[in-house]
Amino acid sequence: MSCSSSSPIPAQAGIGLRSHHFLEILEAPPPVAWMETHPENYFGEGGASLRILERIRSQYPLSFHGVGLSLGSTDPLDRTHLAKLKSVIDRYEPAFVSEHLSWSSVGGRFLNELLPLPYTEESLDHICTRIDDVQTVLQRPILIENVTRYLTWGGSTIPEGAFMAEAVRRTGCGILLDLNNVYVNAVNFHLDPFEFLDEIPSEAVGEIHLAGFDRFGRWVIDTHGEAVSQEVWGLYRWAIHRFGSRPTLIEWDTNMPPLSVLVDQAKQADAILGGCCVATP
Amino acid sequence: MWRLREMQEAFAEGITTGNHQAAADAIRSDGSPLRSVALYRRLIRTNYTQVLRVTYPLLAKLVGEQFFRVCARGYHARYPSTSGDLFAYGRAFPQWLLELDGPRLLVQLARVEWACHEVHQADDVRGPVVEQSDVEAWADPSSVRFRMNPAARLLACAVPIYHVWHALQADTAGGGYDEGAEPSPIPDETGLLVARATGTIQVTGLSPEQFLLLHAMRDGKTVAQVERMAAELIPADQGASLLAMLLDEPTRSAFSLEVTP
Repeated sequence: MSCSSSSPIPAQAGIGLRSHHFLEILEAPPPVAWMETHPENYFGEGGASLRILERIRSQYPLSFHGVGLSLGSTDPLDRTHLAKLKSVIDRYEPAFVSEHLSWSSVGGRFLNELLPLPYTEESLDHICTRIDDVQTVLQRPILIENVTRYLTWGGSTIPEGAFMAEAVRRTGCGILLDLNNVYVNAVNFHLDPFEFLDEIPSEAVGEIHLAGFDRFGRWVIDTHGEAVSQEVWGLYRWAIHRFGSRPTLIEWDTNMPPLSVLVDQAKQADAILGGCCVATP
Repeated sequence: MWRLREMQEAFAEGITTGNHQAAADAIRSDGSPLRSVALYRRLIRTNYTQVLRVTYPLLAKLVGEQFFRVCARGYHARYPSTSGDLFAYGRAFPQWLLELDGPRLLVQLARVEWACHEVHQADDVRGPVVEQSDVEAWADPSSVRFRMNPAARLLACAVPIYHVWHALQADTAGGGYDEGAEPSPIPDETGLLVARATGTIQVTGLSPEQFLLLHAMRDGKTVAQVERMAAELIPADQGASLLAMLLDEPTRSAFSLEVTP
């Protein structure tokens, strides 16, 4: 299998690429359609990781999923971070570049957590300006991901799905739809996940994320440390029926299992994608 | 009505300082903002502790989970994150252990692990590496200088650390510590060379003589100067040892050559 620089990501299942599995992947490339990684892990100037990613990139279509840009922060955009991101994008030519609809720093304080925004007109104007700015620098559209939240900002006036839909309309960005996040928020705040999904414009969904969660007291936490739950598989079937087949990622970041477990989860997603009869736009 | 920036600043301030009520006031929801703040504070601290655990795996193993977690929390309060990219988070951890009056062995081990962390992602070698043929062809040793490669660090040791590092490393790699594979003792260990060689990071214990020579090489001394130092430091019956050391991994990977006209 070889992969050219312009390889698009097919509407099939991929897995998250983590250093934990580097050797296994190099020795026996797994039967998955594509891989996704955090670009921040490749901001270094050299070393084995960069060469390994080059090898993997030559075999699989790749997607970059950023975690450090603090897109929703009211601080100025971190131009150094953005320049590094542009540099790794130019080097590895991922098919997708995504970031979270969140903030993680303000006033020089870095919390390094994907914190939700209040869904207000002010936030919407702000995030659209930032998305425009990032897309201009990167010279490509990005996907924005819905995040988990463990709080509800007072004063939020726009439903989350409508907020994202409007950001898409104003900026031309796409959506990375994380169904585990939808489920976690629904459980923690007694929401109807389908109300959120109904607001999402089908044609904007470029990618879907599936992951596992843990329970901690009264909270369901998006840990990415477990297999995809039955409830999230159920949401996935519904979403694929509603949106059509989409590139789908099995995300796993903590409590890392053998690679074969991720591959099995990807096969489950592929089985659902294979049964879908809705045309991809 | 609060502006977005005011909300973000108040929330971040409350989370950072531990003033849960201030952060909860920023949320201003009818739900359970104090519970939300407590959870976020826990998630954030757990993230930072995990980053340190990945960067300092041997130290974490040596001191145990609970002590490491306490150190990590204290570190975060003293040296908060300064970037969205967490690569640099933990740079001052050895300094923090020193401020805690921690045993020198722990401070030294932390320095070695941070050096390994930096070397892992450092720039690749661009200049020519030291080769046997180069050494033999040095017609004018005063015109050739050593240059330490970006993926190498030379560390002075206040306490002997190499054997501790080696034992912990071997044990962490799995299968327990094999006493048969224990390296030879290094008399009066004075320093360590951390270098990325053939894709892996190697840590080498250095005697006082080796450390002085490598220190001179790192400082850009010419081959002629290093040879003179070696002649003074190394007994005549071990005359070949300088060349042997230069051509041995990981020293070879740690330096390249620069010819000055």
